[in-house]
Amino acid sequence: MKTKDLRSSGTYVSLATSCDKNYPPEHIIDGNGETFWMSTGMFPQAFTISFPSPTEIADISLQSYNVKGLKIEKCISEEVGTFETLAERELEHTEELLQALKISLNTSTTLLRFTITSGYDHFVSVNEVHMSS
Amino acid sequence: MVKLRARCILVGDAAVGKSALSQMFRSDGAHFQKIYSMTAGVELLTKSVNVPNTSDSVELYIFDSPGREIFAEASEKMWGQPSVMCLVFDISSEASFSSCGRWLERVRAHCQGLQVPGVLVGNKSDLSSRREVETATAQEWAQSQGMEYFETSAKEMESCDAPFICLAQAFHTLYQDRLNTIQSIVSP
Ligand SMILES: Nc1nc2c(ncn2[C@@H]2O[C@H](COP(=O)(O)OP(=O)(O)OP(=O)(O)O)[C@@H](O)[C@H]2O)c(=O)[nH]1
Ligand SMILES: [Mg+2]
Repeated sequence: MKTKDLRSSGTYVSLATSCDKNYPPEHIIDGNGETFWMSTGMFPQAFTISFPSPTEIADISLQSYNVKGLKIEKCISEEVGTFETLAERELEHTEELLQALKISLNTSTTLLRFTITSGYDHFVSVNEVHMSS
Repeated sequence: MVKLRARCILVGDAAVGKSALSQMFRSDGAHFQKIYSMTAGVELLTKSVNVPNTSDSVELYIFDSPGREIFAEASEKMWGQPSVMCLVFDISSEASFSSCGRWLERVRAHCQGLQVPGVLVGNKSDLSSRREVETATAQEWAQSQGMEYFETSAKEMESCDAPFICLAQAFHTLYQDRLNTIQSIVSP
């Protein structure tokens, strides 16, 4: 199993519903857990990760804070914009440390959409998303 | 320079002036409706507020809710998870002030334990000759509930922005606090 270096592979965050320029969505895939993307109020919140070509994803790990409901989908038709749900989770609340979630996806796609449907606070952070194939 | 978004729930008894107040705020004083037109469903108004002494702003999504009991249940379903709340009564109606506790409970039931900044607004301050609720009484109650108190007159365009600016400021402060919390977790 190998961990992808998301930055060098041409992967990028193609959309995010919040943007504080000090805590931008690019921080989600910068390989640095100290930097993070911060949501700026109200739910749902979403971001998408785009791959330059169809990519195998075995599992995914996510570090976050105060996220409650999370849905992960893959795009099955970019033209029509249809999505297929891969996973839905309710995360545990953590106090002094980040939430760490690992999910097996075993899928292939060019675009993943993460929707945060609710939070344990008004604002949530996503610090890191890692994938392995 | 960040733009925050807040869901602002606006509640209080019927005819206290919630719609008048929010429309004055929304239109910068260009629009006061003299003839009472009861709100039946939730009306959504949005306005961006600059947070004083910062380059940040908060976009308020104001859910102007009906005060009439028969519409209350349906309108509560629209509230979702509130970010901030604005509780309004009419200073010339003691009854509308006594209802505030009940309105507060209603909104809190949707807050899922989150800290939700709130303001109490005594509207119709132009009707001072018919005043039934003393400023000090309202102020004291607001304080006991952790809220700021404002008196406004939508009719005279008096202080209509102040409660909303206060809410934007409080929400912005929460944002800063949470940023600091996360920052201290990732780089202690
Ligand atoms: N004198 C005076 N009248 C006001 C003021 N604000 C509103 N009114 C009047 O009070 C009446 C009710 O105002 P609305 O804004 O419709 O009241 P509301 O709280 O939205 O009522 P519902 O939608 O039924 O819950 C209208 O006739 C307004 O013109 C004010 O500051 N002073
Ligand atoms: Mg109304």
